[in-house]
Amino acid sequence: MTRTATPKLGAYTALAGLGLVAALVVGRPELAALAAPFAAVLVVGLSLAERPRLAAAVFELDRERLMQGGTVEATLLLRTERPVGRLELLLDLPDGIVAEAPNPQILQLGWNERRELDFTLRCERWGGYRLGDFVLRSQDAFGLIVHESSFERPAPLKVYPCGEALQRLLRPLETQAFAGNQVPRARGEGIEFADLRPFVPGDRVRRVNWRATARRGEPWVTETHPERNSDVVVFLDTFLEARQQDEGTLDLAVSAAASLVTHYLQEKDRVGLVSFGGVTNWLTASSGVVQLYRILDSILDAEIFLSYAWKDLDLLPIRALPPRSLVLALSPLLDERAVRSLLDLRARGFDLAVIEISPVPFAPAGPGGLDQLARRLWLMQREALRSRYLRLGVPVVEWTGEVALQAALEEVRRFKRHARVARV
Amino acid sequence: MHALLLLALGAAGVLWLFAGLAFRWSAALALGIALLGAEQAVRLATGRSSVDPWTPLYAAGLLLVAEFAWWSIEPRVAAWSEAEAVVRRLLTVTGACVVAGLLAAVVVLAAGAPLRGGVGLELVGVAAAAAAVGVIAAVARRPVRG
Repeated sequence: MTRTATPKLGAYTALAGLGLVAALVVGRPELAALAAPFAAVLVVGLSLAERPRLAAAVFELDRERLMQGGTVEATLLLRTERPVGRLELLLDLPDGIVAEAPNPQILQLGWNERRELDFTLRCERWGGYRLGDFVLRSQDAFGLIVHESSFERPAPLKVYPCGEALQRLLRPLETQAFAGNQVPRARGEGIEFADLRPFVPGDRVRRVNWRATARRGEPWVTETHPERNSDVVVFLDTFLEARQQDEGTLDLAVSAAASLVTHYLQEKDRVGLVSFGGVTNWLTASSGVVQLYRILDSILDAEIFLSYAWKDLDLLPIRALPPRSLVLALSPLLDERAVRSLLDLRARGFDLAVIEISPVPFAPAGPGGLDQLARRLWLMQREALRSRYLRLGVPVVEWTGEVALQAALEEVRRFKRHARVARV
Repeated sequence: MHALLLLALGAAGVLWLFAGLAFRWSAALALGIALLGAEQAVRLATGRSSVDPWTPLYAAGLLLVAEFAWWSIEPRVAAWSEAEAVVRRLLTVTGACVVAGLLAAVVVLAAGAPLRGGVGLELVGVAAAAAAVGVIAAVARRPVRG
């Protein structure tokens, strides 16, 4: 608790003192009469100044999780034993949370009074928050002394990033053994038509294609593709980001990751997450709603942690990158460690696609000619880096966030349609 | 000459008040009020020896100007602009000015009483003035209890 004198206290003290001294020097009692009110205000104000006391305070949120842009209702229940004339209450909110109700509020509380205050909070940015930091401030009636204290009633809140709706997803080259929504190249039990072939002993009678059989005069069977799922790993580069004010490449990457994870899990695929940066986290691939919230909670912890330690893929356990999985990398390609790790992934035979979260919009050119030249060189270096990936058969698409993520995925699909895996 | 000096002191006081309001500067407000008080002191020192009966009004007016001036430079917080808070503050200021006028009247009446104390009474006055400032300073510096 802090107790602070306002500048008014010093000023009134000086005025009262000056008036009294002037009355003595000049010998006129009227000057003491002019100074007396200032002195009286000081004495009365200081005597009435007291620190705010609360008997109890309970803070609750109506929910613990919501999507970015949503609102959450918070309730604060206060109880006092003694009356409080003028109490200012501020809910200290972190960046990214905005109060829609007036904040701070002024309260007057009587003897043993209970008061319930409602706050509507709008969550503008994704992340994990701990709300419930309050600051109480009371002044005496004349604004001479300010008492300030704080109390905490922590309540956790998780704000998940809003993703985009995706119409079509990227499909990996190979599927896994479990049932899913994908149609692989292999033949098996399924409902998707694959081919017709002559009947051989052992084929099931229900597989006979009677129309083809009638046309050819001998039994023919229908072959189908099975429905299989696939493994997808979202690879998030958290070494470095480019940022301007409230938005940066990490925000775009997190939003894209949330979209991809949500849609792939809806397709019954197994999805894993690797957050590769100063702090490296991973989640092994799994499916279901539980995995969705596990990944979203992990994404909330994603932040840029500056580190100069060299890191490579050897840090990751084998289960973090399942074989024959599609690795979708979301990276601004700013850090050499991330660039080399992605090349290493390709060298290890992973089906890799890189969505480059472009840092170019967050790094505007300077005013001078030298700045313009440096920026052109930088852009050329980035183009050369992309060519390096393309030569190795890794689709790299530059995404700025201004176009839909679907457009970037379509560009990757177009590249993969014309590219073939070379097995040497 | 006296009129010019009074005019200069008054004008300086008002200018410093305006400066304090424009730049939200507390020291300038204090200097402005002090200069207005100094104008009154010069007027009294060069005027008649009898007690000025208008002093309670000057005291209430000076306190009113001071209260409004410091209220004007307080930080703008939305909650403080609510009608109830403004009315409550206005009533407090008005009440304080009325009480200030009455207090000044008591001081003026007491000053007008036919008392002969000589040096001793003057010493008591000096001690009282010093003690008043000392009490205020002591109360203002009262330690914070957690």
